[in-house]
Amino acid sequence: MAKAKANTDLCKGCRLCVANCPRKAITALETVNKKGYEIIEVNEELCIGCGICYKVCPDYVFTVE
Amino acid sequence: MPVFRKPESIINTAGYCGGCGHGVIQRLIAESIEELGLQDHVIGCVDIACSFWSQDALNFEFIAGPHGRCAAVATGIKKVRPDATVYVHAGDGCSYVIGLSETIYAAIRDVPITMVVVNNGIFGMTGGQLNLATTLIGDKTLSSKAGRDPKTMGHPVDMLKTIANCDVAFAARGALYDVKHIDETKRYIKKGFQNQVENRGFSIIEVLSPCPTNWKLSPVDAMAKIKNETEKVFPVGVYVDRGGKD
Repeated sequence: MAKAKANTDLCKGCRLCVANCPRKAITALETVNKKGYEIIEVNEELCIGCGICYKVCPDYVFTVE
Repeated sequence: MPVFRKPESIINTAGYCGGCGHGVIQRLIAESIEELGLQDHVIGCVDIACSFWSQDALNFEFIAGPHGRCAAVATGIKKVRPDATVYVHAGDGCSYVIGLSETIYAAIRDVPITMVVVNNGIFGMTGGQLNLATTLIGDKTLSSKAGRDPKTMGHPVDMLKTIANCDVAFAARGALYDVKHIDETKRYIKKGFQNQVENRGFSIIEVLSPCPTNWKLSPVDAMAKIKNETEKVFPVGVYVDRGGKD
């Protein structure tokens, strides 16, 4: 089954994916990436591969496959 | 299961602030162009403002004219390169304030280009000044510290209604605050490019987009503001669709 994979190097910490995920599978972390933005984490067990995170993300972090 | 992967035309990271709608719009443009198979001969016109960053991110030819004159530059390109796909990616400051006459004249001439206007209700790149056409009543900006007062600063204007008075092929307004509206916006943008392939005339798509940095809200609250306030003043939907008539 398709799952969302996050390339958190591109993340800018806007949290739109966290707010829009219908299964609450994305959690906001306090860890920062190389650019200094707080990143997110995808829980693959909850993810249903709907692609909503891909569609709302302005920075192309997610790939669903 | 469907697969969602970044379009191949996006070759670099988005240079915008976190939560900015420009990144999503750039993706919708790239996806629409790739789905129609036009990616080999595309010339984009960007404004000297936030949309300027899409030059770096997208693998298309680009030109940035003087500030606000994107529609005029795109008109010129389309006249000399009628076989190229020409699109404009500009903000509301460019299209509705500084370059209002260029936008209106592109609509009057009915040039077969696709124009994507990002309506974030503010001059984003210069630091968030009041935009006479799109800032809502009561919004605090850098140049209206006490909120927009209609007595001295007038009311926001629905420019798509103005443009709909000209005989254009397609005019529609989308929004980015949830997935349903993002998908709808993509259909509008794709329709704009389809009209250009069929040489039908001027297509304009306005997108209600957030500017969390200058609105001084979190990206999630900025989306809620579009849903609760902006959409009431600027209703989404199709304004003009001339269809097959030429």
